[in-house]
Amino acid sequence: MQRRIHILPDHVANQIAAGEVVERPASAIKELVENSLDALASQIEIEIRNGGKTELRVADDGYGMGRDDALLAIDRHATSKIRDEKDLRAIRSLGFRGEALPSIAAVSRFELETASVEDGEGTRIKINGGRVVAVEEIARRPGTTVTVRSLFFNVPARAKFLRSAAAEARAVSEATTALALANLSTGFRLHSNGRELLDVPRTGDLAARIAAIWGEDLASQLLPIDYLSDGLRVAGLIQRPADTRPGSRRLYLFVNGRPFSDRFIVRAAEEAYRTTLPGGYRPVLFLYLELPAEEVDVNVHPAKAEVRFLNKMKVEATVTEAVRSGLEGIESTASLGQQATGTVQLTSRGLPPGQARPRPTAATPGGAQMALFVPGEVVPSKPSAETGEEPGWWTGRAGAMWQLHDSYILAETRSGLIIVDQHSAHERVLFEQMMRDFRGGKTSSQRLLFPITLRLSPGEMQAVEELAGVLRRVGYELETFGSNTVIIHAVPNPHPHFDAERCFREMIAELAHGSPLVDSARNQHERVAKSFACKAAVKAGQPLSEREMTELFDRLFASELPGHDVHGRPTILRLSLEELARRFGRS
Amino acid sequence: MKVTITRENFQRGLSAVAATIPARTTLPVLSNILVETLEDRLRVRGTDLDISVSVQTPAEVERAGAITLPAKKVADIARELPDAPVQLQANGGRVSLVCGSSKFRLHSLSADEYPSFPEVPFDEGWGLRSGEVQKLSAHTTFAVSSEETRPVLNGVLWQVRGAEMRMVATNGHRLAKMVVKVTRDAAGQDEDLIVPPKGLQQVERLFDAEDQLQIARSESHLGFRTARVEVYTRLIEGPYPNYEQVLPEDNDKICIADRGALTAAVRRVAIVASDQTHRVRLSFGPGTLALAVQTPDLGEAEDELGVEYSGAPLDIGFNANYVLEILRYISTEEVRIAMSAPERPATFEPVGGDETYLCLVMPLRLME
Ligand SMILES: Nc1ncnc2c1ncn2[C@@H]1O[C@H](COP(=O)(O)OP(=O)(O)OP(=O)(O)O)[C@@H](O)[C@H]1O
Ligand SMILES: [Mg+2]
Repeated sequence: MQRRIHILPDHVANQIAAGEVVERPASAIKELVENSLDALASQIEIEIRNGGKTELRVADDGYGMGRDDALLAIDRHATSKIRDEKDLRAIRSLGFRGEALPSIAAVSRFELETASVEDGEGTRIKINGGRVVAVEEIARRPGTTVTVRSLFFNVPARAKFLRSAAAEARAVSEATTALALANLSTGFRLHSNGRELLDVPRTGDLAARIAAIWGEDLASQLLPIDYLSDGLRVAGLIQRPADTRPGSRRLYLFVNGRPFSDRFIVRAAEEAYRTTLPGGYRPVLFLYLELPAEEVDVNVHPAKAEVRFLNKMKVEATVTEAVRSGLEGIESTASLGQQATGTVQLTSRGLPPGQARPRPTAATPGGAQMALFVPGEVVPSKPSAETGEEPGWWTGRAGAMWQLHDSYILAETRSGLIIVDQHSAHERVLFEQMMRDFRGGKTSSQRLLFPITLRLSPGEMQAVEELAGVLRRVGYELETFGSNTVIIHAVPNPHPHFDAERCFREMIAELAHGSPLVDSARNQHERVAKSFACKAAVKAGQPLSEREMTELFDRLFASELPGHDVHGRPTILRLSLEELARRFGRS
Repeated sequence: MKVTITRENFQRGLSAVAATIPARTTLPVLSNILVETLEDRLRVRGTDLDISVSVQTPAEVERAGAITLPAKKVADIARELPDAPVQLQANGGRVSLVCGSSKFRLHSLSADEYPSFPEVPFDEGWGLRSGEVQKLSAHTTFAVSSEETRPVLNGVLWQVRGAEMRMVATNGHRLAKMVVKVTRDAAGQDEDLIVPPKGLQQVERLFDAEDQLQIARSESHLGFRTARVEVYTRLIEGPYPNYEQVLPEDNDKICIADRGALTAAVRRVAIVASDQTHRVRLSFGPGTLALAVQTPDLGEAEDELGVEYSGAPLDIGFNANYVLEILRYISTEEVRIAMSAPERPATFEPVGGDETYLCLVMPLRLME
């Protein structure tokens, strides 16, 4: 009987693989740039024409390949990066499958030019739709240039799905940007139809790279975080709550130097921002996770766009804590004038901090051991909240505190001065206090000699009835009377200037009719706590004694997120001595 | 105007009035005092529009007239002058002040610009020993409300009823009430006045206890005067809440405690009370009063003292500040605390003594 099953010829197998690996010009660029990075390139030049559909080229100054390696490289499952199964469990390079080059070559007119650092002799290999058409000796400097023309010329079904040149160019730019953010010590340049889209020099500083890509404006809105817990490091730059805006935003996640996407991690990071942002506002995030390579599986997605963590829960919790730790510090508050973004030191890819990056398994004599990230110890850019040593916070010096227009408090800090919005600050204090009390604390409630009788609208009455239990925990002891009257027998007493009746009226109106503030709450308790904090906090225009100001500061700085009120506004504005010096022309 | 006055009289007159001068004002003339000549005296006046004060002091008047002077500056100058007669002389918009070798020339606003004082019909008023008003005021003004939404509670209710006079003040959380018997001259009618505490404080400050005051009211103002001193205050419009209705009558759990010991114990435990609520819990049992404070982030404190108590055990919470304040104003050795239930008002009264004084505190309850 005739055999029905047969092994597919290589070029067909490669075309099938290409379907998974190479989807569009951007994915080819991503694979080629990753190869350049694995080859320790210090400068990568990328050019596309017609969105990469007509031509795309990636040129690097990495360690290149000798003739034999170059011929092997275009075979399937030919790789220099891993040797066996064991290596697969702890992948440290970006590539490891040995299928990117043959996959691309199978669906394009492909040209590889390369020369290794050691033999100085160059090789050119031309492949058309998977068939090698030329292997030549050339003269060139060390490094590799791959040119891909007429992508999908032999797979019309796929070519049909390509989008406009502009859309493809955008995707290329996005892929390049992600890799540029992950590899600071490599310079990147991207040209599209001869026009420069990106030019970022080598740097050691993430903020500098972000500034090079998007400008100083964005960079100055970010604050560094660096958090280490149980072998997992979460570093990066996150946006100050006060600078967030609704709508589209930048969001980049990296694990061991590899861009990836994971909406659960994004959600975990946003969880830390809770109560500091208005509804619909989302922060810009650049988060770099570093953990032992064994604890993350990068081999779960054809384009390696997703990864799988061994302990997903722990990673998410740590991300929340890391972002939260950044939002706790004074750096997260708004500042007047120029503001240098703190530097984040990122270690080499794939290693716990402190360890050196391994050489690729292929012998690469002479290949300089350049770190993809600037190697460095974990230098916390912000003192940890636990130590209580907050050099930036208030000095607490008696007399170094003034109330401005009965609304703001100006105080000296070690590094300059802060202006605190008394209402916003008190709001934060009361909100956290109320949430703590809801979680198990007790609130006290002052009985009234003359009960307050209020008439409410039907909607408000309904809110009072629904929320009676929660309002009681806030300190309002109520009795409803008839269909539109409530009698208040006892009230909370959060501060000496508190107006219990007005607070109640405003709160019930807000809870009954909704507002952006309470509608952003997650549950009934939070809803009430937010509204109460907002209505009960000392008002602007309220004169405060020095003792009251000191007490407010003590309680503010003891709260979890002192720099942010519950509306997404800053509570504190900083002015540094450097900025003062600059303004007075002293620097 | 031209007058000569001893340095001492000059300074005394100024300092009596200076306290009414507002620290900051939007009406520039109010930061001045008005100095007028009478036959053989000077009259110095100051006002913040709510409270007006005038003091007379002997002087040699050479030329009659009226001037205004910047209050703070003149008070400072008077304090520093040598002990010699002071000569004041007005010259157009300027006033010269000469004392020994010191000479000052000060700018002065026209006396016509100075606000006129309220008119109250003293001939329809009544007489009273100053000490009685002062005593009532000293024991009640502390309890007024400082919150601005219920203006009546910002004042002290002064009830004049035949031979009895009361003052009551409350902020809705605690209340103080004192009653005295008085002998009033003339056919005094009953009055219900709501007086700002600032006005009563001037009465306490500027009159001697033995002074025989003339008191009278107009529609909106209340005036106190002797031959030398006048105090006028704006009245707050009522009605005052019906406080008598909320005074408990059936408080049958009675505790007699040593005032000093109770004060000391409350102060001690209150150190760890929450800054926000100042809550302290009092537990009354047979012969003992236990005090306890628990503040989640801070810690706990307990104390105990022997008291006279034979009612059923009772736990009740208070704002420690309210309790301490009351204990400060009760002057007898022992204090009588009457209660009924943890959510009902408690009253504190002196034991013995000849005062009819009652303080009431509403409890602070824990909501769980
Ligand atoms: N730019 C380059 N410089 C030097 N060597 C390269 C370069 N590009 C590819 N190579 C060599 O060719 C091999 C094959 O590359 P290819 O991208 O096909 O596979 P890989 O990178 O090993 O794995 P993956 O399929 O996961 O990308 C690499 O292992 C590497 O040794
Ligand atoms: Mg590769």
